[in-house]
Amino acid sequence: MHAGQLGMDCRYCHNTVEKAGFAAIPPTQTCMNCHAHIRTTSERLAPVRDSYATGKSIDWVKVHDLADYVYFNHSAHLAKGVGCVSCHGRIDKMDVVHNDQPLTMGWCLECHRAPEKHLRPRDQITNMTWDPLAETGKTQLQLGLELKKQYNIHDSAYMTSCSTCHR
Amino acid sequence: MGQQSLTEHLRGRTYWRSLEQLADSPELAASMEREFPGYEPGDLLSMTRRGFMKVMAASMALAGLTLSGCRRWPQSQVHPFAYRPEGAAPGVPNYYATMMELGGVATGLLAKSYDGRPIKLEGNSLHPYSLGASDAYAQASVLSLYDPDRSRTPLEKQQGKNQQRDWDTFLRYAQDHFGDLKASGGRGVAILTRSASGPTFVRLRELFHKTFPSATWHVWEPINLDNTIAGANLAFGQPLRTHYDFTKAQVIACFDADPLGSHPAHQRYARDWATLRRSVDQGTMSRLYAAESNLSITGGVADHRLAVRPSRVTALLAAVAAEVGLADISVELSPEEKAFVASLAKDLKSHPGASAVIVGPAQPPEVHALAHALNQHLGNNTKTVHYTDEILALDGGCAGSIKSLADAIASGGVSTLVVLGGNPAYDAPADLAFADLLAKVEHTIHLSEYYNETSLLCRWHLPEAHYLEAWGDGRAWDGAVSTQQPLILPLFNGKSTIELLAALIGRPAAGYDLVRETLSANAKGDFESAWRQLLEMGVLPASTLPAVQVGQARPTPLPAAIKTTPDQLEAVFTPDASMYDGRFANNGWLQEMPDPMSKLTWDNAALISKADADRLGLPTSGGMVRLEIAGRSLDIATFILPGVAPGSVILPLGYGRTAAGNVGDNVGFNTYALRTLAALDFAPAKITKIDGSYLLAATQEHHLIDEVGASGRDERIGQPNKSGSIIHEATLAEYQADKHLFHRDDHGNIKLQLWEPPSSFNDPHAWGMAVDMTACIGCNACAVACQAENNVPVVGKEQVSKNREMHWLRVDRYFKGAPDDPSPQVIHLPMFCMHCENAPCESVCPVAATTHDAEGLNVMVYNRCIGTRYCSNNCPYKVRHFNYFDFHATDPRGSAQPWLDIPDTQQRTAIDQIRQMVYNPEVTVRMRGVMEKCTYCVQRLSAAKIHAKVDFANGKRESELVQDGEVVTACQSACPTEAIVFGNLNDPHSRVSRLHANARAYGMLDEPLNTRPRTKHLAIVRNPATPAGAADDGGHA
Repeated sequence: MHAGQLGMDCRYCHNTVEKAGFAAIPPTQTCMNCHAHIRTTSERLAPVRDSYATGKSIDWVKVHDLADYVYFNHSAHLAKGVGCVSCHGRIDKMDVVHNDQPLTMGWCLECHRAPEKHLRPRDQITNMTWDPLAETGKTQLQLGLELKKQYNIHDSAYMTSCSTCHR
Repeated sequence: MGQQSLTEHLRGRTYWRSLEQLADSPELAASMEREFPGYEPGDLLSMTRRGFMKVMAASMALAGLTLSGCRRWPQSQVHPFAYRPEGAAPGVPNYYATMMELGGVATGLLAKSYDGRPIKLEGNSLHPYSLGASDAYAQASVLSLYDPDRSRTPLEKQQGKNQQRDWDTFLRYAQDHFGDLKASGGRGVAILTRSASGPTFVRLRELFHKTFPSATWHVWEPINLDNTIAGANLAFGQPLRTHYDFTKAQVIACFDADPLGSHPAHQRYARDWATLRRSVDQGTMSRLYAAESNLSITGGVADHRLAVRPSRVTALLAAVAAEVGLADISVELSPEEKAFVASLAKDLKSHPGASAVIVGPAQPPEVHALAHALNQHLGNNTKTVHYTDEILALDGGCAGSIKSLADAIASGGVSTLVVLGGNPAYDAPADLAFADLLAKVEHTIHLSEYYNETSLLCRWHLPEAHYLEAWGDGRAWDGAVSTQQPLILPLFNGKSTIELLAALIGRPAAGYDLVRETLSANAKGDFESAWRQLLEMGVLPASTLPAVQVGQARPTPLPAAIKTTPDQLEAVFTPDASMYDGRFANNGWLQEMPDPMSKLTWDNAALISKADADRLGLPTSGGMVRLEIAGRSLDIATFILPGVAPGSVILPLGYGRTAAGNVGDNVGFNTYALRTLAALDFAPAKITKIDGSYLLAATQEHHLIDEVGASGRDERIGQPNKSGSIIHEATLAEYQADKHLFHRDDHGNIKLQLWEPPSSFNDPHAWGMAVDMTACIGCNACAVACQAENNVPVVGKEQVSKNREMHWLRVDRYFKGAPDDPSPQVIHLPMFCMHCENAPCESVCPVAATTHDAEGLNVMVYNRCIGTRYCSNNCPYKVRHFNYFDFHATDPRGSAQPWLDIPDTQQRTAIDQIRQMVYNPEVTVRMRGVMEKCTYCVQRLSAAKIHAKVDFANGKRESELVQDGEVVTACQSACPTEAIVFGNLNDPHSRVSRLHANARAYGMLDEPLNTRPRTKHLAIVRNPATPAGAADDGGHA
């Protein structure tokens, strides 16, 4: 809804994603920037209004929930040109957000071994529909390899070291 | 190598950790041959059926949980802020400047706040007496914040029964009670506090005096500066505070003094002292003399140490005074004493204005006065020694103050007693019988973090806020004002001393307002911007005490010598390195921190010399004696500590608490029972051996490093290893004469690789560490910092006694010298994972749970570990630790078979929610059955690398590489002497690279084993004077 029909940038709400490990769930305040004016009587937004009135958190269900012993960091991935869609899927097409990818260690490592399959220019990070061929005339692999060099992405020995993700 | 040659090898050893090791005990040799001493396989098999069912039930419950949904773990929720504070980002830690006060002296700290929880403390580099470092007490204090045993509510006793009250009820009572008392000026009111120097505290004290002019104000601090202050008073006619400049003092003479360890300014002094030790690489070093009864931190690093009974110090100092021409006294000295005095006097005379004579707080005032005269005579004043006002001075000192209170109570003159912090029922001089006196006061009010021995006897108990929960202020040793900035609202409904004081005066106010009121009154210019700057920096500019010019020190007669009979030893009361005066008793990190010298955990003991123990027929550890001073007696376990002066018995304070909490109750022996007004510092005590023995958990023999392999290699290649593979050591003169001294035994021809050398270490970062043993003083700040940073569990006394302490960083203490040497040399060797490039642990792990990463870290993969413990067996440094139990879920003092009572960590419910709050979320909490060890603080490395990458991507920096100094490990950050340096070995200009290139650097056991450790130690160089008659002493400046 927000990302799809309204075309909002992910970072309007998840505004810590470029500088912090967590792409923080926005504070109720952020929701109310719009919802103070839009759908002010909606039943489904009652928890948001309650939270805004009482100062208590909204109880969001954690959908993308990694194990406690893995330390995924959003800002690092964004800085290296990994788009939201690579892990989260087409959020713009989801009615209710769900896990699009398995988020298992094996799945993480697939990309850590061959990041070129997913890299994109940093200014296209949040673009859900970005198509390398249409935009740059290069295949994903061609572009990915170029970007891998340009963004100083480590070799797979480094990227698959245990300490890259575990502490 | 057989038992026979092992024995022979040990017999010839230079360095030893315990008398058993030196004496070649077969038990110890056997213990070293076993990888896991204390481990009985039967322990695990002896599980009862009931216990088994319990454990199985837990596992089944978990299985049910797993099957009930399609996730691998229970669904979790995210609770974002409704209104996110400006600048806050979840998961991004913030740092706030604050301070911690101990004994009336504040040290600046930076508290790391993670999502609103303070989880780690660092020194504040802008604070003159922290300089970025901190000590074990400060490091551990964050654990006390989350101590579930802290008191949670005001309590009022009625007919001997506690009734829960809220603060409002108390405040109403206080308003009525103190309101009525105003008319009489507060007659019958007495306040008892700990030492405190904060400007707000002082302002409120004065206000209190104005409001209640007839009330009396008393201070009791069991570890106090009474003698020191009285000494300055004797010498100069005013109470002055002495400051030493160790960056200029080439000769330092300590008489029962511990400026690097227990002195209030020890962090600054240690840093300064280290600068003139590290200068060994420029060919100069200061020289440190110590004459003392206890083996102190300062004594441990002294170039010349003389073990003397405390009462002997007077004579020694008098002899020095005579020798340098200050006084005409003749003192009879033993040959050792004579040599010490002669050498010291010679050095003092040849360094006018560049020495410092320091006397410790246990010595009588007259001895301090003599030291002042000596410093003046030697031209040190205004150069290495200067004076300021003493802001903690009070008439009669702490002892006089509490005595006058006791007298007033005894004579019925006190009807209202307010005890602000402190625990006088436990730590007041025994002859005052303070616990009994409390019953004579009608209205007793006690503010305290814990419901402790004193709270038990008071009518009102009020929970005190932890320093991380309340506003306040304090003054450093040089008087610099710091603010105590809270990081979190009081967890347990506590209030601070100043808030309570304000309420008693009848002007209740929040701590924040009280502090601002104080500081704004003195502010010049724009207060708001000054206030913001103060909060940011943590130190108020230009608030240090001005130097005081002193006149000629007055001559004072010396105290008469103490006479002891043959069945007497001089009992010496000392602050404990873990417990201080007892206030930290419920802190598991400190309880389990091995004492810097004795390596005792979870106990104190009467520390005695080998000579005295032999005479009394006492074993090395755990023999029982009865000590008697003036009709009071205490049965206490003994422990032989080499270096303790024959004729003395050291009694660390702070143990034997009975109302400390679940962790601290009934741990050790209450030595306060012997401490009377007449014997606050030291006194002759009758000692008799009694039956019985006591288990003391000392870690001195744990994780022994086996040199057998090295000696076998030496035998085979016919080149005996001269300097020892573990410790490299020399004197300055030897080092000056031969810079390659520490690499003499390098053979170079045995570097055969089992495999091809790893090729993937060409990443731009290659992490490494250097530990300068010349600078290390063994203070343990690093060890506790590591525990706090890395969620290292506390295991309890029983497990420690089975070699199962989990400390990733331990400081091995070695002795060098003959067993009957009254003062063997001390070597401190910080040991943690060396991150070997050829790591022996990796080659034996059947499941590749320990491997290398691309930057050279030896990483431990907990989820792969199946607990074979082969890695630990094959680790030559003995730095790997196995989780025998789910230590995080168990009470360290709990049942001996914790697995029967406590479910798995994965269920989490068993861990106290409050205890969980102290965990560093950046570090995995390990479960039962896996190995763990130092990671080089990989979480800090990752944070720095990601930070650099993100900033680089955003054009905020020129390189993605982590620059030197951007990663500081927890141990490095805490170290007061900067002995630990971490950084990138691929950067030739980094500090660690330069230290690895230093001629003193060596890879421990690298030569025999070719492990290629990434951590190198820098050899110890000492600077003893050359004996009289020999050639001039080396490069001594």
